[in-house]
Amino acid sequence: MNRRDALISLVQLTALSVAGSAGASVISARTPMPVGTQPEALPKPPRKGGLAYLAADEAREVAAIYDRLIPQDELGMSASQAGCVEFIDRELAGAFGQAASVYRLGPIVPGTAEQGPQFTQTPAERYRSGLGALAGYCQAHYGKPFSALDGDTQDSLLRAMENGTLHLPAINAAAFFALLLQNVREGYLADPMYGGNRDMVGWKLIGFPGARYDYRPYLDKKGMALNLEPVSLLDGAG
Amino acid sequence: MKSKLWLGVLALVLAAGGTALTALYANGNSNADDVADDQVPAADAAAPDPAAITRGAYVAVQGDCAACHTKPGGNAYAGGYGLQTPFGVIYSTNITPERDTGIGTWTERDFFRAVRHGKRQDGALLYPAMPYNAYVKMNDADLHDLWAYIRSLKPVAQAPTPNTLGFPYNIRLAMLGWNLLYFKNAPYVAEPGQPAQWNRGRYLVDGAGHCGACHTPKDALGGDTSAYLQGAELLGGYAPEITGNPHVGVGSWSIEQVAQYLKVGSNHMAVAAGAMGEAVEHSTQYLNGPDLAAIAVYLESLPGSGAQAPAAISANDPAMLRGAHIYETQCMACHNVQGQGIDGMVTGFADNPGIRALSPSNLISTVLKGGRAAVTEGNVTGAGMPSFAWRLDDADIAAVLTYVRNSWGNAAPAVGSPLVSKARAAVHAEPVLDKQR
Repeated sequence: MNRRDALISLVQLTALSVAGSAGASVISARTPMPVGTQPEALPKPPRKGGLAYLAADEAREVAAIYDRLIPQDELGMSASQAGCVEFIDRELAGAFGQAASVYRLGPIVPGTAEQGPQFTQTPAERYRSGLGALAGYCQAHYGKPFSALDGDTQDSLLRAMENGTLHLPAINAAAFFALLLQNVREGYLADPMYGGNRDMVGWKLIGFPGARYDYRPYLDKKGMALNLEPVSLLDGAG
Repeated sequence: MKSKLWLGVLALVLAAGGTALTALYANGNSNADDVADDQVPAADAAAPDPAAITRGAYVAVQGDCAACHTKPGGNAYAGGYGLQTPFGVIYSTNITPERDTGIGTWTERDFFRAVRHGKRQDGALLYPAMPYNAYVKMNDADLHDLWAYIRSLKPVAQAPTPNTLGFPYNIRLAMLGWNLLYFKNAPYVAEPGQPAQWNRGRYLVDGAGHCGACHTPKDALGGDTSAYLQGAELLGGYAPEITGNPHVGVGSWSIEQVAQYLKVGSNHMAVAAGAMGEAVEHSTQYLNGPDLAAIAVYLESLPGSGAQAPAAISANDPAMLRGAHIYETQCMACHNVQGQGIDGMVTGFADNPGIRALSPSNLISTVLKGGRAAVTEGNVTGAGMPSFAWRLDDADIAAVLTYVRNSWGNAAPAVGSPLVSKARAAVHAEPVLDKQR
């Protein structure tokens, strides 16, 4: 490590410790503690209404991609029908989209495969640049956006992204595909409170009972389908 | 002939007026307080009488004087606690022996008159937020000891907060009429046919304990109705029936179970919280065993309202089915699979008369606002019930309460969703989170 690197890491350490102390607060409790709702402890469902981050044409393209990954079929509604576009739109506008929990300050060095995906862009920025690159590619080769292509062409494009044979300018197409696949799954399986998994379609599909915390009535019911009605953190969500 | 008729009318009017005056005089008569000294002001040095002070401290606990006269976190007995009444906020006064802001210039007789007859030192009438209509039953010996205790308090200079009563309730003289209607100016007379224990219980319940202040329903002017201790709406809650009625009173509890509830704040099924939790914390937990047993014996002897169990609502009713689902996913972890609760910690619903009360407002406000079990020397846990206002909408709260009130041996009228909506506004509970977006 040279002198310059040492100085940089020292600055980073200082910055970390400042952030650490700013985030800490004195834990003091009057016992018994008062009951009632602590606003900061409540779930924070995203707002309803129009798009929060994606532009309308971006949302349309995301819906087209997601619906190839999770189509409407005998197992249930499609990803966009289940609210997965609204889900990712709110996520991109929030902490996830801003990469709030990801270290991105540098030094920027190529990572090893074992270190997983490394990006300086936030997920919000990756959606914008990724969708832009895909739109440019489709316009150049087919004269229309991805969403206007037929299903087979869409599938072959997505497969090419997934296996790394499609090269899009300025972005890692395989990594962008991985991000899309991860997010559509999250939208389909997250609590409906966050906008996706409408009517708990994802949970019903896999038999997940949701936010329950007491299974005593079922302890002796072994080897049978319980068919528990799943429970959202917020009833009536979605 | 005509003039004779007028004379007759005049005589009648005078006679009626005389009767009214006699009644007014009897109602305001505080001669019973003349047994007390009217010379020595409270702030003067007193001859020490530690035994009387100790006994007086116990009387103060029976009367729960601190509940109102000590503001939470404030100086002991220096007042300033705002009592929310339907007529406005009434602030308690400083009853420490301090000359300028407390009762330092009062004599023992002034004190007796205030406690038992609702009169200030200057003769002005107290509001019946001060339960002199109950304290009038307290005997001379208890009051004398209480006076000794009050005189022994540390004087605190703290000026009283003005009340915020609107017209006409801000006219103290109006209490003359109120007293005439509701104040029964009579000392406690022992019931000769009843054992001493029963009489001791009644003396505590009707006198210092002023149980009826909350548990006896009031009419439009805040006076007691005849439904003695049969359950009453409070602001945002319900003080349940505490008679021997087994359906909604305490008749299905043993003497020991009633006494245990008052001593530690909980028993095999019930947990005191809210206003009763405060009464247990400040007052009843410090009562001795014989007094608690006496109270229980007296309460259980009262026939009460005669309320009987209706037919329970069918488990297949749509509200019951929805309620069962909500109970299983939201309530069961603490209140248990069959509504058994957790002994001494979490209210059990099964066969619990408090759950079956005609008014569900206690249940509604607890679901909306949460609650804290009384913390006593005998049970320090003070388990908390969280608020579900953000989580459950009005229809779901109504459904789960209907379910709880009609399961495990309970039967009670269904809870309607509009009632929950009204309560949500009345107790300032927040809207469901889903609707805040």
